[in-house]
Amino acid sequence: MTHDLAIGAFRLAVPLPRLVFVLGLFGLFVALVVGRAGWLVAAERHFLQAQAEQRFERVVTVPAARGRLLDRNGTILAQSVETHSIWVDPKLWQDATSEQVEALARVLATTPDAITAQIARGGSRFAYLKRHLDRQTAETILALEIPGVSALPEPKRVYPYRELVATIVGITDIDGNGLEGLERGFNKRLQGHPGKKVLVQDRQGRPIREGEWLVPVRAGEDLILSLDLRIQAAALNAVKNAVTEFQAKGGAAVVIDAKSGEVLAMANWPTFDPDARAQLDWNEVRNRALTDSYEPGSVVKPILVALALEQNVVRPETPIDVRGGVIQVSGFSIRDAHASDRVLTVAEVIQKSSNVGVVKIAQKLDPQALWQHYRRFGFGERPEIPFAGATAGHLFPAQRLKPIEVATMAFGHGMSASLLQVAGAYQALANDGCRLPITFVRLESPPSCSQQQRVISARTARTVRAMLEKVTDVGGTGTRAQVAGYTTAGKTGTARKVEHGQYVHKYVASFVGYAPATDPRIVVAVMVDEPNAQKGYYGGTVAAPAFAEIVRQALPALGVLPDQPVQVVASRAPRG
Amino acid sequence: MKPWIATRPRERQAVETKLPTHVWLPAELRPHFDAPGAPDPLLLWPTLLLVGWGLVMVYSASIAVAAEQYGTPYFFLIRQLFFVAIGMGVAWWTYRLPLRWWEKNSHWLFVASLVLLILVLIPGIGKTVNGARRWIALGPLNLQPAEIVKFTIALFASHYTVRRFHAMQSFFAGFLPFLVVVAGVGSLLLLQPDFGSLVVMSVVAFGILFMGGLSWRIVGLLAAAAIFVFAALVVVSPYRMQRFVAFLDPWSDPLGKGYQLTHALIAFGRGEWLGVGLGGSIEKLFYLPEAHTDFILAVIGEELGWAGVVTVALLFGILVWRMVEVGRRLVHVEAYFPGLAVIGVALGIGVQAVINMGVNVGLLPTKGLALPFMSYGGSALVMNLLAVAFVMRAEWELRSLCRRNPV
Repeated sequence: MTHDLAIGAFRLAVPLPRLVFVLGLFGLFVALVVGRAGWLVAAERHFLQAQAEQRFERVVTVPAARGRLLDRNGTILAQSVETHSIWVDPKLWQDATSEQVEALARVLATTPDAITAQIARGGSRFAYLKRHLDRQTAETILALEIPGVSALPEPKRVYPYRELVATIVGITDIDGNGLEGLERGFNKRLQGHPGKKVLVQDRQGRPIREGEWLVPVRAGEDLILSLDLRIQAAALNAVKNAVTEFQAKGGAAVVIDAKSGEVLAMANWPTFDPDARAQLDWNEVRNRALTDSYEPGSVVKPILVALALEQNVVRPETPIDVRGGVIQVSGFSIRDAHASDRVLTVAEVIQKSSNVGVVKIAQKLDPQALWQHYRRFGFGERPEIPFAGATAGHLFPAQRLKPIEVATMAFGHGMSASLLQVAGAYQALANDGCRLPITFVRLESPPSCSQQQRVISARTARTVRAMLEKVTDVGGTGTRAQVAGYTTAGKTGTARKVEHGQYVHKYVASFVGYAPATDPRIVVAVMVDEPNAQKGYYGGTVAAPAFAEIVRQALPALGVLPDQPVQVVASRAPRG
Repeated sequence: MKPWIATRPRERQAVETKLPTHVWLPAELRPHFDAPGAPDPLLLWPTLLLVGWGLVMVYSASIAVAAEQYGTPYFFLIRQLFFVAIGMGVAWWTYRLPLRWWEKNSHWLFVASLVLLILVLIPGIGKTVNGARRWIALGPLNLQPAEIVKFTIALFASHYTVRRFHAMQSFFAGFLPFLVVVAGVGSLLLLQPDFGSLVVMSVVAFGILFMGGLSWRIVGLLAAAAIFVFAALVVVSPYRMQRFVAFLDPWSDPLGKGYQLTHALIAFGRGEWLGVGLGGSIEKLFYLPEAHTDFILAVIGEELGWAGVVTVALLFGILVWRMVEVGRRLVHVEAYFPGLAVIGVALGIGVQAVINMGVNVGLLPTKGLALPFMSYGGSALVMNLLAVAFVMRAEWELRSLCRRNPV
């Protein structure tokens, strides 16, 4: 303990002021630190958090999922599925080894040169290599760990029923924008709105968590179409068979719900496979039922007669002298296909499809009133449907209708319309004179009939329908439109085609009708373009069987009970 | 060897320990150690809380960096756990080592630490990281001699003060030799360079001298010299000054020089009063460099908020106050060497904590000082635990003395 005493007389004590000074200094610094931290929170919080957002957060665009297209029973006709697109950052790609490029070429079943060329076509920092790959292939490619090669999730549109509904549903481009058909018509509703979302990311750019939505993403609507896939299949088959049998250029059929205006089926032949983009023939993509107009021919006759009846110019039993089968109008001869040797009633004019008869009825009418009447049935007017290419057809201008023009309009020449317009006109007849807007979207309830939509009185409509029932009956032009179990009614049409201003021996055969005739549920219009005249070209021969086939399948599908006894070979069980 | 504060054998039994004595030890070392009683809770608990909490925060702050660089999120946690184990073992024996041993060997210990400080400067022995040669590689571990010097300088300064107490009023006899030694140690530290450790070491050395009764005249002289040097620097090379005060406005270059500090500040701003929750820090996800070492307080501020920062400050406050109090009492009972050494330890830990926290909140320029007990780092943790154990031992000897000789 000696060295302790080396202090000797001095007594060492830590001077209290120095102690207070040092401890006070320490306390002051601690208080400064705590105070400064508190100041950062209390006063600079908002500034610091704004800085944090700037550094941690990134705004990403979240694409909206494209809505599906469904048939009226919920079957998916078009939907988007997740696929993976491989893209390349050309700058990083330069570090790729030739072995890697070869391995990549093997996976993509191409050559390294083709890949290099593909990349050269892209931008300086982004080039698609291959789009819409399945997950497995994409993972195989990513596993090669080639510099600059990444995958990007991209939706792809698939059409499970392919050619069956292709001409109505249409297609999208590779980026998912509607190009054709309803995909284009309903594009706005289907595509929704892409959202903007804040993504919090770490310094490596990896997302940590999802922040708030700046713009909420709105997925595209699922659209339930009015189509019924079963009827669509029946219609397509019937058209295809008619086209094949009569070696025609093409054909189309439209089925409309008579009471609601919903399009239940719309078939075109030829059609296309939406998945086989490479061999796309734009001639096949066309929805000819509404893009192509043709001279409807005799099918407009009942509509003309409806006006004559409405205006009390004629009655069904009014005799019309059609003997000789020819009439002169302004120096032109108008002939009947099958000249009658007796006077026909108005009803018989329709049944026999007499051109002379309708021209004589038309001559009793005011041309302006006739024009207005046709217009009310939708002729010469573009239907309000979501198809870009829908035609308005053609009517002579109302101002200066010449007698010959009125005469040709009477039997459906000198005017043109699409098959859909014709079907729409017959919908008015079938629905007691109320022409409903044609819709491709399923309606929850049948629309009520407004005053504007009533084109003729219910009485007139029924009278005309009674005449049309005769057409499919014995002695009519459309007997082949008969269906076992159901009454049918309709009108045949056989129009010659015009080429370079001349009528040629090319025909459009059509049949438009409805069933059951007693209480119409569906309107069916069938058109066959340029059937081989050797095999037949009358509407009653070429188109009516297709009509019958469609009705035969569509009515049971819709749950409509037969309204006429079917010949049944009854077998009586032997009694005890 | 007898304890520093002599006790008679009969009385020695009365204060015999409650702690286990049958701990493994080579026979030749056994006489050096004895078995003291339970340590002072005001020293023990703040330390344990800081170390335990530090483990949690090191894990939380390093999780992403560890997973990214070492493939396992536990990399730094496991290593720090290992350092804690070593530190606890060292502290265990330190607590059982009488103060007398420290006084007797303080010169050798100081010299040994100086040797290490020289060794670290030799290329091949010293390991360079980020341009600073601070570590001696020992297999997978690294030894940081500066951390050892921070403790041995306290032993040296205390011993010096006690032996030259009579000369404390004299500049040439009392102060100058000391200044030469401290300047020498400081030069070694600057050669690494390790400016932060230089500051801490100087504060410990001069603080002990100051507490030991250094003449106010010399203190005034020192202060004047410091101000003169500082002013001279400003005049001679204003750019140094600018770099020095750049920390005052980190937002002028937030992505360059101010990058680290702005991210630390953002952490406090994000944490608000109560924090975003343990594990919720975004700054630690590669934004804030050194999140698990020098800037662990920023992660605490982000995850546990201002409340967490205050708690850390309080724990250090309690620890430092208690150490100073123990030192004061030791000096009061004429146990001068341990008393001054304990105050030196308190100054070292206190200054380093305050500087580190000050850097974190942007009050001081970034100088690469770790937060004692909490930051990741083996040498600092082991030496700090050793220092605290030394203080506990001093407190224990003081307590046993007072029990026998109540004032």
